[in-house]
Amino acid sequence: MLLWVIYDIQENKVRTKISKSCLNFGLYRVQKSVFLGEVAKNRFEELKLITKDVINPETDSVYFLPTSKEFIDKSYLIGQSFDEELVLDEITSKFFRI
Amino acid sequence: MKLPQNSSEFNEYSYFVTPSDMIEFTYCRRYTYFMKVLNILQHEEKRYNVRKGREIHKIRESQNIQYIRKKIPMVSKEINVNLISEKYKIRGIIDEILTMNDNTLSPLDYKFTNYNSKTYKTHKIQSTMYSLMIEDLYNKPVNYGYIIYCKDKNVLKEIKISEKLRTETLESINSYMEVLKGKYPEATKYERRCLDCCYKNICPR
Repeated sequence: MLLWVIYDIQENKVRTKISKSCLNFGLYRVQKSVFLGEVAKNRFEELKLITKDVINPETDSVYFLPTSKEFIDKSYLIGQSFDEELVLDEITSKFFRI
Repeated sequence: MKLPQNSSEFNEYSYFVTPSDMIEFTYCRRYTYFMKVLNILQHEEKRYNVRKGREIHKIRESQNIQYIRKKIPMVSKEINVNLISEKYKIRGIIDEILTMNDNTLSPLDYKFTNYNSKTYKTHKIQSTMYSLMIEDLYNKPVNYGYIIYCKDKNVLKEIKISEKLRTETLESINSYMEVLKGKYPEATKYERRCLDCCYKNICPR
């Protein structure tokens, strides 16, 4: 599934933990606190668990928004946009000529 | 630790199946081949879900030991019972063995996952394996197995240990032993299971 993760976290340590987890699960950093990418359902569950255990629910918020390629295609971006092919896993590998 | 009844015949080199092994085997037979025959580890302890589940099991061992569940017609319980059945070649640690009102026994297992609309076959087979072990070592009948899904909320499910389930489980154990001897098994027919499999890069589906 395609997943947006958007967070607002006060403490640096917690924020770093969540951002590293997102990157480890194969999400791409779209903005400073916004991630997007393809994750398996089990990985999504795991990410939710980690977040639940780490954040302070009184002050922090994390949004997990499942989406689809159809919605990404319909989205409209102004300014610095992300590499759509990379995020949607359409580029599986890059070859370099030596 | 409870030894088999005729411990004089105990052979430390014979292989015993654990219900956890059987869960993986039922999910996909290639799992067992890669892990037990080729010795490629899956490192499940690195997964946060697994670590969290183990923590919860530890808490259950120490907290509220005397608790008698009202939803189950039970009298008493034993916690964390380690059993080895020579007859069925099964070994394992049962989370709880419940003594019921009608003097039968029942295994109870905690699962760190959410219940979604049905009890999976893997869980049914695990419960049946526990039941076979209990019947062998306690000489008392087992009619039902219980599973508690304890991720977001506690959902209790009852499994009828039928004859059909028992024969199915024993057949599975036999096929498991064949794979252990080196037989290359068929992969699961459900391709969705491969999406999150740790062996997907080396499995020639």
